Amino acid sequence: MNKIPALSPTVLLAVALLIYPLIFSGAFYLDVGVTFLLAAISASAWNIVGGYAGQVSVGHAMFFGLGAYAPLLCYKLYGWTPMAGIPFGIAASVALAILIGIPTFRLTGHYFSMATIAVAELIRIYFGTWDLVGAAIGLQGPATARGWWDLTFRSELPYYYIFLTVLAVLLSFTYLMERHRFGYYLRAIKVGERAARSLGVPVQQTKIRALVLSAMFTSVAGSLYSVKTGFIDPESGFGILVSVQMVIIAALGGAGRLYGPLIGALILIPLQTATNTWFGGGGTGLTFIVYGGIIVLIARYEPGGIYDLWEQISPRRWRRKHAS
Amino acid sequence: MLLEAHAVSKSFGDFFAVRDANLSVGEGEIVGLIGPNGAGKSTFFNCLAGDAVPTSGKIIFDGQDMTKAPPEAHARLGIGRTFQVPATFEGMSVIDNVMVGAFLRHPHQGDARDHASRIIELTGLKAQMDLAAHSLGTPGRKRLEIARVLATNPRLMLLDESLAGLTPTELQEAIRLVRKIHEMGITIVIVEHIMEVIMTLAGRVLAFNQGHVIASGRPEDVVKDEAVIEAYLGRGSHRVRRRSA
Ligand SMILES: Nc1ncnc2c1ncn2[C@@H]1O[C@H](COP(=O)(O)OP(=O)(O)OP(=O)(O)O)[C@@H](O)[C@H]1O
Ligand SMILES: [Mg+2]
Repeated sequence: MNKIPALSPTVLLAVALLIYPLIFSGAFYLDVGVTFLLAAISASAWNIVGGYAGQVSVGHAMFFGLGAYAPLLCYKLYGWTPMAGIPFGIAASVALAILIGIPTFRLTGHYFSMATIAVAELIRIYFGTWDLVGAAIGLQGPATARGWWDLTFRSELPYYYIFLTVLAVLLSFTYLMERHRFGYYLRAIKVGERAARSLGVPVQQTKIRALVLSAMFTSVAGSLYSVKTGFIDPESGFGILVSVQMVIIAALGGAGRLYGPLIGALILIPLQTATNTWFGGGGTGLTFIVYGGIIVLIARYEPGGIYDLWEQISPRRWRRKHAS
Repeated sequence: MLLEAHAVSKSFGDFFAVRDANLSVGEGEIVGLIGPNGAGKSTFFNCLAGDAVPTSGKIIFDGQDMTKAPPEAHARLGIGRTFQVPATFEGMSVIDNVMVGAFLRHPHQGDARDHASRIIELTGLKAQMDLAAHSLGTPGRKRLEIARVLATNPRLMLLDESLAGLTPTELQEAIRLVRKIHEMGITIVIVEHIMEVIMTLAGRVLAFNQGHVIASGRPEDVVKDEAVIEAYLGRGSHRVRRRSA
């Protein structure tokens, strides 16, 4: 009796996502679906450290980019299936996360946010001049599949279900995290670091663990992206828009909420697709305007995102409906 | 001695907020700290809790040198503290706040929840268990701070004006709670402006003024001390109750 109301939105959502490609089977809608899933995965990965722990990274593209380059680099250098590069991307991202976390989490204030922007930009610029990774031109994957293991499909449908599986795994992980000591510690750190420490919370170590986990999943998102598109360059891997999109999607839906990033992606991706379709090439400039507008709206009206807004409204609606 | 502070000083620039303060607390004691506003009581507490590193001096807890140890190490060893301005985790529910403390000794969620529930019952917060901390008001949040610290199973609790701003009935209840905590075998150091609290609870009192310990001893003697009366400057040693900062 108790569990059903909490469970049913999850079931509805799962069913909706599972049957979406069967209803909207056109290439365009499928592409929107895949883009949505990738955005939801990236933002949910960001959410672990940016939302739950409140350590706002504006440079998560560094992990996305490493994850994106690794598969295509493995293919280029050794002719391996791009999939083989995924663990290398994760390893590199974990190492980078620890390297950034140790010095910046010691400091308070916005040092972490600033450091992440700087590091992501440095990596982007460096990759743009590094011949091994194709410099400014970037890397390409196999043009045609040598077998299923290349994960190179002509249809978007397989990608849709692969991405959906990854999203489900990530959200299940986050769900368990929320209920574990680690999740409580993250929320405590977010609202009151000083009080958390006084209760014995190992703040520094907990933040680093959050960043490492977040980096791992972001790296996987990057790998999924490059395996699917079969192409990566410094801008699409490490560009500031990649980082900012994760922040905006999570904040729009509700940072530090399980379904926040998913809700955010559900709104932003169709909106972005629409502006890109209507305005063609000028769409990229428009993306910045849309992002800027969303930042202003969140900052001004609802810092908790749509999720909190809904929570404020829905209990009242519920009470009215169930008033005896 | 459970806690010993030797000649602890803390300065901010040229200004000494605490100067050469000595304190030793035996297991099972309740020690009161009094003194006018800005005397250095909270700063001294911060040094004892690892929240501030003393400029000089030494702090020993249960035989271990804690002078430079971080606050989380203090919590692990059994020193718990409340904040003068409540620092509850605002967006989180009362039970979740207490669970953060409970996790220190109970890593598993179920155990932590059970332990936190017991503490919530003990501290009289059961009715508010599922409310968000910010909906509690200052007295409730101070009680929640006590509960949260209690959940870490401390041996020593440092209470910084946890009983300030209560109505007379709430005050009696809070005094009973502190007694109960003391009966559990927890040693207490309490900062309080309300003399009634100090007189009824503390077995021994230290008076601070301008960073210095100006008197110490039995509460009834300290409030009669010339220097202490001087420090409170005509406000009358029995009527130094004032609104909380
Ligand atoms: N971080 C700081 N930087 C500079 N000065 C400080 C700092 N913290 C405290 N002080 C100063 O140190 C002195 C002692 O402050 P403290 O808060 O310890 O006093 P207190 O005895 O707790 O007073 P109250 O009864 O008002 O709580 C005050 O003059 C205060 O302004
Ligand atoms: Mg004080």
